[in-house]
Amino acid sequence: MFKAKRRTVVTVTAAAAVLLGGALAATLLTSGSSTASATNMVEYQAGQRPLAPNLTGKSLTGTSLNLSSYRGKVVVLNFWGSWCSPCRDEAALFAGLSQQDAPKGVVFLGDDVGDTPANALAFTSSQRITYPSFNDPGYAVVAQISQVVPVHDTPTTVVIDKTGHVVGTIIGAATYSELTTLLRDAAVTQ
Amino acid sequence: MTDVHAPQSQPESAAAEDEAARSFALDQTGTAEGGSGTTSPPPAANAGWLRWGWRQLTSMRTALVLLFLLALGSIPGSVLPQQGSDAGAVQQYYASHPSLAPLLNHLGLFNVFAAPWFAAIYLLLFASLVGCVVPRTFRLVGAARTPPPRAPRNLARLPHSSTYSSALPPDAAVAGAAAILGGQRFRLRRSESDAKDHWVSAEKGYLREVGNLLFHLSLLGVLLSIAAGGLFGYKADKLLVQGQSFSDTVSALDEFHPGRLVSGDDLAPFSVTLNNFTANYIDSGESRGQPSNFDASVSYTSSPGAKPGTYHIRINDPLSVDSLKVYLIGHGYAPEFKVTGADGKVAYEEATPFIPANTGTFESDGVVKVPDASLGFMGVFEPTAFSANGTLTSIFPAADAPAVSLIGYYGNLGMNDGVPQSVYQLDTSGMTKLSGSPHLLTPGQTWQLPNGKGSITFVGVKQWVSLAITYDPGQVPALVCGILALAGLLLSFFVRRRRVFVRAVPAASGAGSVVTVGGLTRSDASGGFEEEFAELAAEIASAEPGNNSELPGA
Repeated sequence: MFKAKRRTVVTVTAAAAVLLGGALAATLLTSGSSTASATNMVEYQAGQRPLAPNLTGKSLTGTSLNLSSYRGKVVVLNFWGSWCSPCRDEAALFAGLSQQDAPKGVVFLGDDVGDTPANALAFTSSQRITYPSFNDPGYAVVAQISQVVPVHDTPTTVVIDKTGHVVGTIIGAATYSELTTLLRDAAVTQ
Repeated sequence: MTDVHAPQSQPESAAAEDEAARSFALDQTGTAEGGSGTTSPPPAANAGWLRWGWRQLTSMRTALVLLFLLALGSIPGSVLPQQGSDAGAVQQYYASHPSLAPLLNHLGLFNVFAAPWFAAIYLLLFASLVGCVVPRTFRLVGAARTPPPRAPRNLARLPHSSTYSSALPPDAAVAGAAAILGGQRFRLRRSESDAKDHWVSAEKGYLREVGNLLFHLSLLGVLLSIAAGGLFGYKADKLLVQGQSFSDTVSALDEFHPGRLVSGDDLAPFSVTLNNFTANYIDSGESRGQPSNFDASVSYTSSPGAKPGTYHIRINDPLSVDSLKVYLIGHGYAPEFKVTGADGKVAYEEATPFIPANTGTFESDGVVKVPDASLGFMGVFEPTAFSANGTLTSIFPAADAPAVSLIGYYGNLGMNDGVPQSVYQLDTSGMTKLSGSPHLLTPGQTWQLPNGKGSITFVGVKQWVSLAITYDPGQVPALVCGILALAGLLLSFFVRRRRVFVRAVPAASGAGSVVTVGGLTRSDASGGFEEEFAELAAEIASAEPGNNSELPGA
């Protein structure tokens, strides 16, 4: 009887040890491969594009900004901050494309998050960005659009078609090809 | 899992007791219990092995071993810094233990409660409990519905017994005893009416099984609640400077730890503005410099456009909004700077959070990054600055005489190559120092940088708070289940299952009968059955005269 009990304790302990050992092995094998932070483009098919909410707020210089006033044009909405390194990385692309595509009816708009207007205006001036941005230190505009599309990181870029529907989003620094893909598809309205 | 009955053995009355105690031992006949499952050797066949394995897993011993392992596994979680609660401390640990830290990290010891091995323990414990409790529930329900066993033959051999002679015939004597036992809410079982044998079995204390059942089900409820919290809850941190606000979106949060089934779209859309923060410190006596009060005055809205409310968040007094809680977990100073570049234009104007390096004096470190003027500053902030022997230090945590000492750099901050940087670190590898020694500024003072690189003004001091946002849908159910489990445990500890048997046989003289009352209980740890039995037996015996009067001449 006593022997049998001891045997059981040994067996149970051994079984637990094997299971824990297996779990430990799983930890060691999986812990090395959990970083995948490449840029992330999401595109909505025509007909399934969500309607962007009417974003309203003040610009960095204190004027009123209103997303719905851009209805009829393709809008590139970029969420950025002067503190954000990847935003600086993509800034030249946005500065260039915003001027190049203006005649095609494409409007660029920024949303400056977690920032102060002074810092942001220094950024736009040094990066030669001429389009307006929402002054959004508390992420209120992000909260508004997050009800429709996820804006989970800074920078994030949202492309909106002429009817006010979201064509797609780019999370992380946007590349030329990603942005031009979304702009090309934005021309095809539903 | 638990069998709160204490084993009891009395060899001399073994035969009688075996019969009388038959279904008392219900919890030991089940395979899930420690008793029989452990004594059977491992079988040979494959299906038998599975069955044996399941029995082992669901045995009380395994559950206890797992519970012990769970406690043991939690120790590193409280001894070592954890990624989820204090990522900075983990970094510090890495710095001070460069060879040990990666090993510990591989073992998941910096994130114990999310480690697979920790999950293995609680999942096994969960399986063990479910495997034990569910079958046991059915057995307990069955046990609660079964009538008491037949009365054993020889009641005198039970642990408690007494005999008296009655003037009544056996069936009437037993009927009288049954009436008394029934009046005391015993569950009864009578001998068949046509039998020669006259007895009644009575049992009480079924509440013990109810308590047992409640305990097990509540334990299951606790586990389910915790699991629900882990799956559907989330934790987040946000640093907020006075006057700033934030909306609860993933990109606004400094740290976001979602449960397994939470996505960033599930966040409650509330927003919080920090209107003011005050920290009071004791300014004399032995505990000089100790904090006496923290008060973060906030206004908040539960969703965009909703009516705003105000609240004072204090330690252990969180803000409740949208079924989540916002705790105050830290605070510090944010010196406000205004920086102009070489062109004379303002390139930076912001209250910059500095991180306390000394939580006693609140001497704090921070950096000011002005990439658009190619300027960077490393600063040390002293809330109550005191200079001794050329060394600047802080002598009190309140901002009574604030000063900041700055080292300036000019050049490339490395912010244009797209690699995210910490806002608390300055990469000076591409920069040159503006001056050899640190420059001291008090509020309102401006440092004209050498070589016409611009200027930096120490505008003033603001404070910041660190807020922890937690959503744990399992918290309230876990508490309720915990209380119920305790109540169940107490019931099962303090209520005894006890049986009383009464058997009457015709007296040798031919008239009347000899009545034997026997009693049996299990796990009479708290005592008391002996007295209860004596009282009961006396009551049954003393009820006789009343019956006698109905039978004149007897």
